Amino acid sequence: MTLNDQIDKLMLAYQNGDDAVLDQIYMMLRQPLYSFIYRYSRDEQLSIDIVQDTFIKLQRHKHDYNPDKGKLKSYLFQIAYRLMVTKLNRRKKWRNLLPFLTPSEAEDFHHSDRIVVRDAVTKLPGIQRAVIILFYYHDVPQRDIATILEIPKGTVKSRLHAAIQKLKQELEVEDYE
Amino acid sequence: MSKDPLKNNHHLQKKLDEYHVNIPDFPMKPNRWERLINLLASPTRDPLEPFLSTSGGLLLLKLAPIMGAAIIAIIQMLIFL
Repeated sequence: MTLNDQIDKLMLAYQNGDDAVLDQIYMMLRQPLYSFIYRYSRDEQLSIDIVQDTFIKLQRHKHDYNPDKGKLKSYLFQIAYRLMVTKLNRRKKWRNLLPFLTPSEAEDFHHSDRIVVRDAVTKLPGIQRAVIILFYYHDVPQRDIATILEIPKGTVKSRLHAAIQKLKQELEVEDYE
Repeated sequence: MSKDPLKNNHHLQKKLDEYHVNIPDFPMKPNRWERLINLLASPTRDPLEPFLSTSGGLLLLKLAPIMGAAIIAIIQMLIFL
């Protein structure tokens, strides 16, 4: 039984009234959700808020999840992605109205290599960034990425290809194919 | 799933593997008060910075309160006298 199957089994128990298993689900999915949001936004507080809001939404609408439609992990990634996009758009609107609310950049410059990779990923356009993060760091199948980001599977493929080409260019990686 | 497009990109994979994320410890339930404090305490740009960088801007900043007080005084005189 894979980890995702275990999580789905716990979710089934949660839907059937065993509230104690929610903590286990949280412990198993907190890390992937946080790292997905963080790699996308590079905002620690926003990532924490989104993970917490995702679990609030799961608790409020626990019967909305249907295991026949996909894994719980993908379902929560979809909720988190929607919440993050809404929050980032709202934040962008406020910053256009009140530009002085824009936070100052506070980055650590201790690991130059890591920063190059971070910057290269951050520079990617939104959808390409989300696709490469889900595909490479979270092993999400392309079909599930399409569901999470609400785009056609063909778009996932093209965005993934474009993201890889851009990353190669940014990171000056030679093509060894 | 279709063919892995990163399969033969070992150098790119190596680079991507360098991107680690440290996961902070945080509870499942949000603390609204803590969120407000974090929002208020988050660093922002100084809105007066463009003024401070030029001598003309600095002078304007010094004169602005005096000019404001003078305008309010004139308005009060027009209303009450």
